[in-house]
Amino acid sequence: MKYILPLVGVAAGAALVAVPYVITNDYYLNVAILILWYAFLSTAWNLVGGYAGQLSLGHGSLTLIGAYVSSLLFVRFGLSPWIGMLIAGLCAMAFALLIGIPTFRLRGPYYALATVAVAEALVNTVLNTEKIGPWPIGGARGVLIPLKKASFWLLQFSEKWEYYYTMLGLLAVLLVVVWLIVHSHIGRYLMAVRDDHEAAQAVGINAARYKLLALALSAFFSALGGVFFAQYYLYIEPGRIGGLDLSTEVALIAILGGRGWILGPLVGAIVLVPLGELTRAIFGSSYIGLHLFIYGVILIAVIMVEPRGVFALAAKLVNRFRQQGKTGREAVDP
Amino acid sequence: MVKTLIQATADGVMMGSIYGLVAVGLTIIFGIMRVINFAQGSLLMVGMFTTYWLWVGLGINPYLSIPVVVAVAFAIGYLLQRYLLNHLLRSETDREPLSALILTMGLWLALDNLSLLLFGPQYRMAQTSEPRLMLGFLTVSLPRLMAFVLSVGGVSLLTLFLNRSRVGTQMRAVGQDRRTSVLMGVNSYHIYAVAFGIGASITAIGGALLVPFHYVYPTVGVLYSVRTFVVVVLGGLGSIPGALLGGILIGLMDSIGAQFIKASWVTVIIYLVFLLVLFVKPSGLMGVEKE
Repeated sequence: MKYILPLVGVAAGAALVAVPYVITNDYYLNVAILILWYAFLSTAWNLVGGYAGQLSLGHGSLTLIGAYVSSLLFVRFGLSPWIGMLIAGLCAMAFALLIGIPTFRLRGPYYALATVAVAEALVNTVLNTEKIGPWPIGGARGVLIPLKKASFWLLQFSEKWEYYYTMLGLLAVLLVVVWLIVHSHIGRYLMAVRDDHEAAQAVGINAARYKLLALALSAFFSALGGVFFAQYYLYIEPGRIGGLDLSTEVALIAILGGRGWILGPLVGAIVLVPLGELTRAIFGSSYIGLHLFIYGVILIAVIMVEPRGVFALAAKLVNRFRQQGKTGREAVDP
Repeated sequence: MVKTLIQATADGVMMGSIYGLVAVGLTIIFGIMRVINFAQGSLLMVGMFTTYWLWVGLGINPYLSIPVVVAVAFAIGYLLQRYLLNHLLRSETDREPLSALILTMGLWLALDNLSLLLFGPQYRMAQTSEPRLMLGFLTVSLPRLMAFVLSVGGVSLLTLFLNRSRVGTQMRAVGQDRRTSVLMGVNSYHIYAVAFGIGASITAIGGALLVPFHYVYPTVGVLYSVRTFVVVVLGGLGSIPGALLGGILIGLMDSIGAQFIKASWVTVIIYLVFLLVLFVKPSGLMGVEKE
């Protein structure tokens, strides 16, 4: 009985690996890739929004930087997106830290608004800019990534399942990183700061340093997500990759799934992304906006019933089955 | 050159007064409940569509339909607060509840997309030309002038209501110190609902004022949402005169700025100003740091 959760975990992991063998239809495989992609971005977001406790609604700015830096290097110099990822990640980190230092002094809704302003300012700047010096960046027309040849090194594949495993690999790496952070002193300090900023500082924790660390990692991985998007869809434009829509979706998925839990965002993505895609597929042309309406209703319902998200709800239910005498705390671990 | 600047100033002030009115709605909700309502733009949209359909469908003059808009928006706001938000606020102990903010995000999604489902994505325009008045060299658009007059008038009436009426005083009390006002016998949750209703209807009036010269479509609120936040923070969260002043300032920045640089760059500059205010003086121009 004690090993049931790890067993479920292994089974779930195996299921994820087995997906391309079971799902061969390209459309559904695309949905699966999207699930992983949103899970990835939301997990990265979770470092800031869930563990550091700052509700960011501007993470799109980081994905935008990632996508643009890597794509422009690829288009101009043919630089492998894997290296592009590293460079883009570092750029996003720098940007995030620059913005993070003044904004982390703001709390709650003020911080959220500031992140919205930053992201919108960046998107509008890119929309208005045709070139930076001699480099064209496309402005509102976006950037087209040329399909050169199917190669792992160029992060371009001919088959969807190759993209699937790439995304799965990236997600696995991120989840391991998050796991390591959460189970280290960094994680404990972050959660202390999140739960009571003043008390944590009174105990001697340098709140700013740990929050910025979380932000730096979050930015790095968000940028990676942007690079993948660019290589997968081969076209990026500022609104889609950096806009308010993406920023809020990513935050929402993490919140609904479970903000302070490692697997919360993944759960959120598994629940919400297919819902969105299916609704769009079935009703899309006749009932525009239905899937977002449903998102909204679900968000309202979840936040009223269990503000900590679906994962927390599931954990509570698992607890009910298990506990006969223990207090809830020991088995449930945010 | 001077003439265009004066024209731009006039236009900016008139448009800004509407930004201000919409922002007053948001600032009331924040001032009294510490909730940042992400659905404020959607409430604007509700006001716009109510006015639009009454005008186009029943031929009712937009200014005459304002009482209806107020009633509809108030009802929606009151009910939303009473049955959804209050439930959440009862269980939250934070001073600035984030769950409530997330709830309003859900409301925004639901309202905007419900409107999209009901009315479709097309942009609608109630009238194709704006009646104008010539004052010397100035061209003054009548609907915008009306909007200015009614915005300022509306805000003045609201301030009067808040200062002189019993409910208004209760609202101010709850905004200043919730616990003490409860000790004094104020039903804070009822006041929250009233405040949300009033905040919703003020913004919805702004929507009604826009219809004579603005496109009406389901996601029009999003355009105004971010702007409204900027205005409210600039003026000081919780301050009504601040919101109106902030709105006019932003309106002026828009119209005068557009004389010198591309309009979309003005948007970027406004966001940068917003960030500056947040970093330097988050309580805004007229806000008071509330603990």
